[in-house]
Parts: sequence; structure tokens; C-alpha cells
Amino acid sequence: MAGLLLPAVLLVFAMMVAPMALLFRYSLNLYSPTELMIAAVTPANYLAAVSDPYYWAVLRTTLTVAFEATVIALILGFPAAYVLARMQGKWKGPLTLLTVFPLMVGNVVRAAGWMTLLGNSGVLNASLKAMGFSGVEMMYTQGAVIVGIVTVVLPYMILTLASVIESIPVNAEEAAQNLGARPFTVFCRVVLPLSLPGVAAGSALVFILCMNAYATPVLLGGARFKMMAPAVYDQFVRTTNWPFGAALAFILLFVTLGLTMAGSMLLQRRYKR
Amino acid sequence: MTRLVLEGLRKMYGPTVAVDRVDLAVEQGELVALLGPSGCGKTTTLRMVAGFIAPTEGRIVIGGTDVTKAPPYARDTGMVFQGYALFPHMTVAENVGFGLEMRRVPKAERGPRIAEALRLVRLDGYAERRIAQLSGGQQQRVALARALVVNPGVFLLDEPLSNLDARLRAEVRVEIRALQQRLGLTTLFVTHDQEEALTMADRMVVMNHGRVCQIGPPEELYERPADLFVAGFLGRCNIFHGTVETPGILRAGAIALPCDGGVPGQAAAMVVRPERVLIDVQAGLLPGRIGMVTYLGGLTDWHVETDAGTVLVTRPTPTPGDRLRGLAPGDVVHLDWAGRAGRLLSPEPNGELA
Repeated sequence: MAGLLLPAVLLVFAMMVAPMALLFRYSLNLYSPTELMIAAVTPANYLAAVSDPYYWAVLRTTLTVAFEATVIALILGFPAAYVLARMQGKWKGPLTLLTVFPLMVGNVVRAAGWMTLLGNSGVLNASLKAMGFSGVEMMYTQGAVIVGIVTVVLPYMILTLASVIESIPVNAEEAAQNLGARPFTVFCRVVLPLSLPGVAAGSALVFILCMNAYATPVLLGGARFKMMAPAVYDQFVRTTNWPFGAALAFILLFVTLGLTMAGSMLLQRRYKR
Repeated sequence: MTRLVLEGLRKMYGPTVAVDRVDLAVEQGELVALLGPSGCGKTTTLRMVAGFIAPTEGRIVIGGTDVTKAPPYARDTGMVFQGYALFPHMTVAENVGFGLEMRRVPKAERGPRIAEALRLVRLDGYAERRIAQLSGGQQQRVALARALVVNPGVFLLDEPLSNLDARLRAEVRVEIRALQQRLGLTTLFVTHDQEEALTMADRMVVMNHGRVCQIGPPEELYERPADLFVAGFLGRCNIFHGTVETPGILRAGAIALPCDGGVPGQAAAMVVRPERVLIDVQAGLLPGRIGMVTYLGGLTDWHVETDAGTVLVTRPTPTPGDRLRGLAPGDVVHLDWAGRAGRLLSPEPNGELA
């Protein structure tokens, strides 16, 4: 049986663990404009990052976007997941497929679509202007990025929630109704508490995806809007400061990991009571 | 006084009739069992009473109030679900108290009522347990307490015993019946288990294909079934097809069999319960050979091959010394029964005798 795990373990090791170890090693090196990287063991890159207000701002933006997008995805995703989970018969399959459908369109393609729709000379603004209104700045705002990210992560949230809601017996809801609970009370007292594991899992998944979003913030946020993943990319490709980029990458990793774990522990305590 | 009345209740799913014009009145304190094979419409009927399914036609009246269009939470029913449907994230006390909370019973009053309900189902001391820590039988009793604590006008039970093992089932059956009688609950009970219905119900409703076949006390349905379906569904029976020769005699081919009255010339199916058939080694009306003997402990089944087909005979197991004691396959025996044991029915599976 253990042998079945081998291919996956090997792949993860070769493509995940080894590069990560390498990257971590780089983050302790020094940067030189002429030689690019000088071998060293120094926390200098980490210290530089946390002492630079610019990266604090980038991290704050990233956290705000990730948090708001997760909450919005949760609020929008829950009702959809509930309907999907409780649906029976021939429409369930097609609707599940429809939920996954946005994932078949790449992030870049979708963001490009948003640009043509929301841009200053895009479809929406052109129509507004044609009707005599003044144009509205929609592209290159934090709002645009959040909306864009929500559309990317919503399917993950819906599918995660739906699988947990499906495991809540329908007759538990009926029992609550039979005992006098109106639909909203049934939701608050039975459905929501029993779906907390799904809320935790879906939110963690989505939060991680948001924290690491790259294409959407770049395309919908524009040059002046910065989140962590594009900032890391800039360091590696534009300024070729690999040690500093690696340090930023690990800061992003630890912040994401720490918050996700803290969040799910908090939720777990709530439903273990 | 809470009386449950169903008037011309009907449920269609597209062109399919799930429940077809059910008329039924459950009196105050009466336990009525809905019995039938799966898909007969008994559960649909119960769920219409609880309000989970909207009837296509007809009325549901609980305690004089028409609740046909009322939502489930506004109906005065307490239901025990198949599989219990307890709230796994709540303690036993929170489960039982849920209905009281929904009815805005003050907290100070809730505690004693929860304790009283738990005492009723013999679960005192379990109030703070979690549902996952309870056995199936205990969960079932929590479900009972949760439904009873609110003093429902109508008590609904949907196959409440089907998740229990056989021994526990017999025990809980007696417990539920005793509770129901003590509290005087107007009760509608759905089951596919005829023994459950026979032992617990004041009256039984046998359903098939969405229709009511017969309503009556258990003895009446067992002893005077209205049609071949009811006869075959409740208990076991021998069926002989033939024509009434003279009142009291049914001719099946070359054989004349005793029956309960009848009109000469009438085609009929005669039903004889296996325990009403007498078996003797020497004299009797219908000779035959023993095909198979099944020892059931207190009772023994003999399958006897006769000219009128295989006849099933169930008698108390003969004691040592009885001439029937050593009967083995191949032995010749004689069967007989009293004329009133041979009930005449229409040969149609669901028809009334003309």
C-alpha cells in the first residue's frame, strides 16, 4: 500500500520541497548588483523587508484584499452551496459542472475580459458616456481586484461548502421545523453550526488562494496597486534581487500559514465547545 | 381534545399518484398505524400531516383547525423521524429543550420540563451527554423525549424502530405504546413491519399503491381481511381459488372445501390462516403428504402437498408422545378446518367481494 504513495511523494519532493529549501537558502544570501548573489548566512533580507514601510503597505493591501474576498466568497457561496447540496435529480450534475466552469477559463483570460468591460474606454464606460453620463473609474482599484479575485475563488468555496452541507441530514432540518423553528432559525441553529467545518475548510482554501493571487492584481490592479505575489515576482524578474525576493516569498508564506492555522483553530474551538 | 382528520388527501407527482384520496380520522388518544409495502404512500401521508409535503388535494385538520396550508413549524405535531434526526452539535438536554426554546418557554421552566421528559424515557442523568456518546436505543429515546416535551397535539412516528436490532425493537415497541397510552397522545405511526402494527395499533390502515385497502382494529384486519392484498400482507395465508357450490362449500377442481357461507355459483378466493388448519394422521377432509417441516421452537410449520396445492399448517410443536411428533417428509396426513375459518374474498387482488 505504501508503494502507491511513492510517485506522488517523489513528485512533491522534487517539485515542492527541494525548490523551497533552495529558495530558503537564497533568502539568507546577499545581493550584489554586479554578481547578483553572494553566498552568506544573514537575516539582512528579512530585516530589510520588515523595516521598509513600502512592504508593510503591500502586506496590508494583500491581507485586506484576501480577507474581504474570503468573506464575500463565503457570503455569496453559502446560499449557492446550500442549494447545490440539497438539490436532487437530473439538474444536480449539470449545475455542479456549471459551478466549476469558471475554473476552465484561465485567470488571465478572465481578467482580460474584465479589462475590456470595466476599462476607462471599456464597454461599460463607453455606454455610460454614450448616454451622456461621465465615465466612472472602475479599473485599477482595490474594488476591481477584490471582485476579480472573488470570481476566481468562488467555485472553490461553493464546492467545499456543498460537500459538507450535503453530509448534514435533511431530516435534522425537518426536525427543527417540526419543533417550531422557522427557516431562518433552522439556518442559524442547525445548518450553520453543522457546516462550520466546511466554512473553516473553504475559508482557509480561499484565503490562501487570495493571499497568493498574482494575475488578477496585476491585470486589474495596474502598476501602482501592489500585492505580495507580484512584489515577489518583481524582485526575481525586474530587479533580479533573488535573495530579497526569496525573503519576501517566505514572509508571505509564514503570514498566510500563521493566519490560516489561527483561523481554523479558532473555528474548531467554536464548534467543539 | 385533539383529533386528526384527513379528508380526501391526495398527492400527485406529475402523472403519478403517490397518495390517492385518503380519508381517515384519528381520535383523541388513539394510535393508528399506516402499514404497507414501500412506495404505498404511507410515508408521504405522514409527511403531509407534518407539513413537509403539500397535498395536491384534500384537507388536514388538527384539533379542529385546518392546517392544510400551514408551514411545518406552525403545526401542532411532534414527530419522531426515521434515524431520529437528532442535532449532533447539541447535548441531550439541548436537543430535548429545542422545541421549548422555539415556543419561547422561559428558561426557568425549561429545565424541569426537560428533566421530566428525560425521566419519562428513562434517560435521567444523560442530560449533558453528547449525541455521539449514546447507543442507538438511547438516541431513539432522546428523539421520543424531544418530540413529547412540547405536548404535541398529534404525535407522528416515521418507522421509529427500523434502526434498532430485533430484541431492542420489541422492548421499545412496548415502551412507546405504554407512553402513548399514559399521555393519551393522538398518534399516527408509519411502519412496514406488520408485527409492529399489529401489536401497537388501536386501528391499522393497510395501504397499497397510494390507496387505503382497509381500516380497522388489528384483529379485524387479520381475521376478516377485505381483499387478497390485505390477507397476504398481514400474516401468512393459504389461498384456494374456486367456485361456491352450496353455501359453506367451495369447489376447487375435484375437491370440495369448507368455507364461510357464500352464494352458489360465485367465483371466489378462499383464505385460510395456517394456524386454523387442523392436521391429523388418521382422518380428515383433505389428504396430503408432508413436504417440508420447519421447527420454529414453540410452533412448527408443515408444508403439506395436497390435490388443492401446497397447504401451510402452523401448530404448536407437538409434545413428546403426540402422534404428530415424529412426522417426517413423505408421511401421509389429513387436513381439515372449520367452515368459518375459510374466508371468501374476491379473486381480484384488490377487489371487494361482489
